Amino acid sequence: MSALKLMIIVMLSGIFSVFNFASADQDFGNGADMAHLSAISEILTSPNDFMSSPVTVEGTIVKVCKKRGCWMELASDKKFQTLRIKVRDGEMVFPMTAMGKVAYATGKLTAIPLNLMQTKNYLAHIAQEQQESFDANKVTKAITVYQLSPTGVTIED
Amino acid sequence: MNKDINWFKLNRSLHRDIGYFCIGLTLIFAVSGIALNHLDDWNPNYQVTQETHLIPDINSVINQENFESWLLKKLNIKTKVKARFWQTPTEYKLFTTDNHSLLINAQNNSVVVEQVKARFLLKSLNTLHLNEIKSAWTYFSDLYAILLIYLALSALFMVRGKKGVKSLRGLLVAAGFIIPAIFMMNYSL
Repeated sequence: MSALKLMIIVMLSGIFSVFNFASADQDFGNGADMAHLSAISEILTSPNDFMSSPVTVEGTIVKVCKKRGCWMELASDKKFQTLRIKVRDGEMVFPMTAMGKVAYATGKLTAIPLNLMQTKNYLAHIAQEQQESFDANKVTKAITVYQLSPTGVTIED
Repeated sequence: MNKDINWFKLNRSLHRDIGYFCIGLTLIFAVSGIALNHLDDWNPNYQVTQETHLIPDINSVINQENFESWLLKKLNIKTKVKARFWQTPTEYKLFTTDNHSLLINAQNNSVVVEQVKARFLLKSLNTLHLNEIKSAWTYFSDLYAILLIYLALSALFMVRGKKGVKSLRGLLVAAGFIIPAIFMMNYSL
């Protein structure tokens, strides 16, 4: 086989992989394990009960990191409550156009206790990322951030 | 038999053909590379527009059944709501099928209409550059990287004599190593 023919085959396989991408579903990592669903409200009521083993949550995507798509927030089944799904930059990239869609995420729940200064900095950073206004004086209590580090995410269309 | 092979000519032919093959891929990685390099200055994947509207009657209508259609009509947005969410007791969020998100503040009767549009072509190029799709693209881009290594090394043997790498032009090769080395030393990488 000539070098030219070989290169044409390689090129076609590249084109094929792009077409494959065009029809790819919205699975990230291993995709979510739908068999073990837990309600976000239940998790956030007693987070310590869910720290030891992987959990799967379901919720409407209400926020996505505008810069790198490295986190998204899922709406809880309870009003005013969300759970952040956070990955290391580049590990998974959540599309901004997924807002309003339902996502399932499987992973490990982690707790990050913050002091008051860290809380203000954290919330300021989030607001800056989301291009939202933020008043540090309104933050008077330290928070513990609970987030899910997913091994698999599935976004339903 | 080996004596018949003209290595110099073969190298030039391979360099030329692989070079042709790599043009498209190089443009993809170069264009998206510039776009992604300035991530702190702009969003290379999406065009996000924001408009704020003040609609006086929101707080009196927000709990009514026809609120969503009423609001979309007021905003002249012809689309459907696909999801909704109470963010705080006074902030309600609607998401439309056309990638609008409407942040409604019932306290000050304001609506922030945000629309997200994927940047034409650039979003796809960035996705390839960052290998977000994994699968076959991983292997294909590995192959591209190997071809680039070949192009770089074979370039050393393309020209003989006065204009070859053994002339003063070798300094250009050295510069390609020295410049990143200076950055590495400067930033203790």
